[in-house]
Amino acid sequence: MSSVVRPPALPVGRRRFCLWIGLAPCLVMSWLAAVSALGADAQERRYTVAFANLTEEPGATLEGTGFTGKEVRESFGLAVRRYPIDLVFYDNHRDPKKALANAEDAIARKVDLYIQYCDDPATNARVGERLRAAKIGVLAINTPVPDAPLYTIDNRAAGRIGGEALSEYGAKNWRGQPTIGVVLGNLRAQEHRVPDRVLGASEGLKRHLPALRITPLETQGNPAQVGPLLAKLLASHPATKILIAAMDDTSALAAKSALDTAGRLNDGAIVGQGVDRSVHGGINDRKEIDPSNRGSIVLGSVAFYLDRYGYEVLPIAIRMLRGETVVTRTVTPHRLISATNVFIEYPPYDMN
Amino acid sequence: MRRKSSLVVTVVLAGLIASAPAALAQTDCTKVVPPSPWGPNDQTGATNRVTPAVTKAAAAEIRDGKVVVMSYPLTDGIPLFGTRFSKTILTATTLAPGGALGENQLTYMEDTWLSQSHVGTHLDGLGHIGRKDCYFNQIAMGKFITQNNMTKLGLEHLKSFATRGVLIDMVKVYQAAGKFKGNATCKKPCLEKGTVISKADLEAGLKMYNVTLREGDIVIVHTGWGNLFEQYPAQNATYNSGEPGIGKEAANWLVSQKIVAVGSDTWAVEVIPGEDPKEAFIVHNILITDAGIHIIENVRTDLMAAEADQSKRATFFFSMTVPKAVGLTGNFVAIEGIR
Repeated sequence: MSSVVRPPALPVGRRRFCLWIGLAPCLVMSWLAAVSALGADAQERRYTVAFANLTEEPGATLEGTGFTGKEVRESFGLAVRRYPIDLVFYDNHRDPKKALANAEDAIARKVDLYIQYCDDPATNARVGERLRAAKIGVLAINTPVPDAPLYTIDNRAAGRIGGEALSEYGAKNWRGQPTIGVVLGNLRAQEHRVPDRVLGASEGLKRHLPALRITPLETQGNPAQVGPLLAKLLASHPATKILIAAMDDTSALAAKSALDTAGRLNDGAIVGQGVDRSVHGGINDRKEIDPSNRGSIVLGSVAFYLDRYGYEVLPIAIRMLRGETVVTRTVTPHRLISATNVFIEYPPYDMN
Repeated sequence: MRRKSSLVVTVVLAGLIASAPAALAQTDCTKVVPPSPWGPNDQTGATNRVTPAVTKAAAAEIRDGKVVVMSYPLTDGIPLFGTRFSKTILTATTLAPGGALGENQLTYMEDTWLSQSHVGTHLDGLGHIGRKDCYFNQIAMGKFITQNNMTKLGLEHLKSFATRGVLIDMVKVYQAAGKFKGNATCKKPCLEKGTVISKADLEAGLKMYNVTLREGDIVIVHTGWGNLFEQYPAQNATYNSGEPGIGKEAANWLVSQKIVAVGSDTWAVEVIPGEDPKEAFIVHNILITDAGIHIIENVRTDLMAAEADQSKRATFFFSMTVPKAVGLTGNFVAIEGIR
């Protein structure tokens, strides 16, 4: 036990006076620190963040969905309004050389953080090395950059959600009737990780119908193939119900059209993947998924939210910039969008 | 057998009784919308603030009697929101040969106006916007609507809008702060769509003209976006594609200032696209549903902005009358700013 030397006691009044005198500098210091901290919060420094998009080539769609690079970029432009961030936009053009050049430019600009959206792992590794050497943090989208946090879609989970919705529908409405499952689309598109989506959809289709036979219909990315492929299948299954897990929304709509042409709308149920504007519509567009179209055989589509990437990714970015811990992998919250929730998820500007 | 039937009937009845509350359930609006500060029976909202004293004080803004037009023409070709329409049909039968009446050859004309109420320069009433089935002052509106109108919160309950108007020139604020990003389609400077006007922006705009908001004021925000309205019909699509406007923080601050209404030269007053893509017209909820504060859309603001710039005075007497249209959710209006 250590000994403590106490000074002689002072009279009470003088003691209080000395206490205040002694405490005053501490109180002033604390107040200054608090004010300074508040000021720091109120006027947080602005950060410069680079976002290198996968591709903004007009018409090019991303991740095997109907979304374009322009929509991804616009989402960043809108989401950044919430943050003290100045964005620098780059387009990787799906080109390794361009991706590296973009990173070099960002290093020269001394950005605070680099958000890399590039689907080539080797390029990502080199970009990651260069940025690390320049002490610039990296955040990756959909394809990992070594040692960087990743924001990513989960194709298998998305596929499973779609498959399960169809399986539940079939079990509820067609129990006892001959039913087959179909997975439809650009099934072997490894670059978009569609095979994972197919796997998930197949798992989901069997969730409530374990004995369901599943037929793959490969369009090789050409939606015009949906009609002939389905027509052939429908002709060979005249009295059969068909659950169609489409791997994208364009294929889902084409499938509906094919069933309509064959006079078999009552025999089908379809779920798409993506929820791009082709199914929920913009102002005055035709809207397949809509509260006023609840009878559609397109039960819904699984959301990928590429048009909200900015809103999903920038919160992670700001935490990194503030030195906070972030998880190594954040997954898109895929969910089925149907007539019952489309207006909640995608409220239309025109209220129609 | 009979006992079995009775049992089935009892079970079915019990089931029906048990499910009835769910089927008939309405939202408990006391949990969804705050009560009106003017009492449980209030259907008037923020125009309660326009007292004789407020109007008298506002009259002091009339110094030289100059009247500044603050509404746009309502005619074919102007931008209309969504699927809205406004059409007129002229009755002029007495102008046909032989159609004049009496020896004095009286002729007359009248109009049939087929129009939705929220077109052109218009006021959003308290029955315009709710949260679920809950509207201003916790009114469960599902019980108060007929095929033709509302039986609560109609325009007939509103008091006067004869109060002080305060123009806040956001174009000048953004230019002065060096953060102005215009839209090339505007022929005069305008903020770009999606620009979130913050509380700090509003305060900067007030400071620019040394104005402090008073209870009962009507705030008019000039964004320049209305220039696209003026170019109708050429720029209707651009005008409707989005807009600059106040965000949630600014809306909440305006509520705290106890104003009567907020107007702007845009079709929704609030920023579009909104701050959160999963929220629909949230500023409308904050102002109208929760606070009974009106929104006035498509206000012509450029002339008053020019006046303010020239005279270094941004306040005026706000002159606007709203028809006692029973059970309506809003209506087109004419506004004049008198100086």
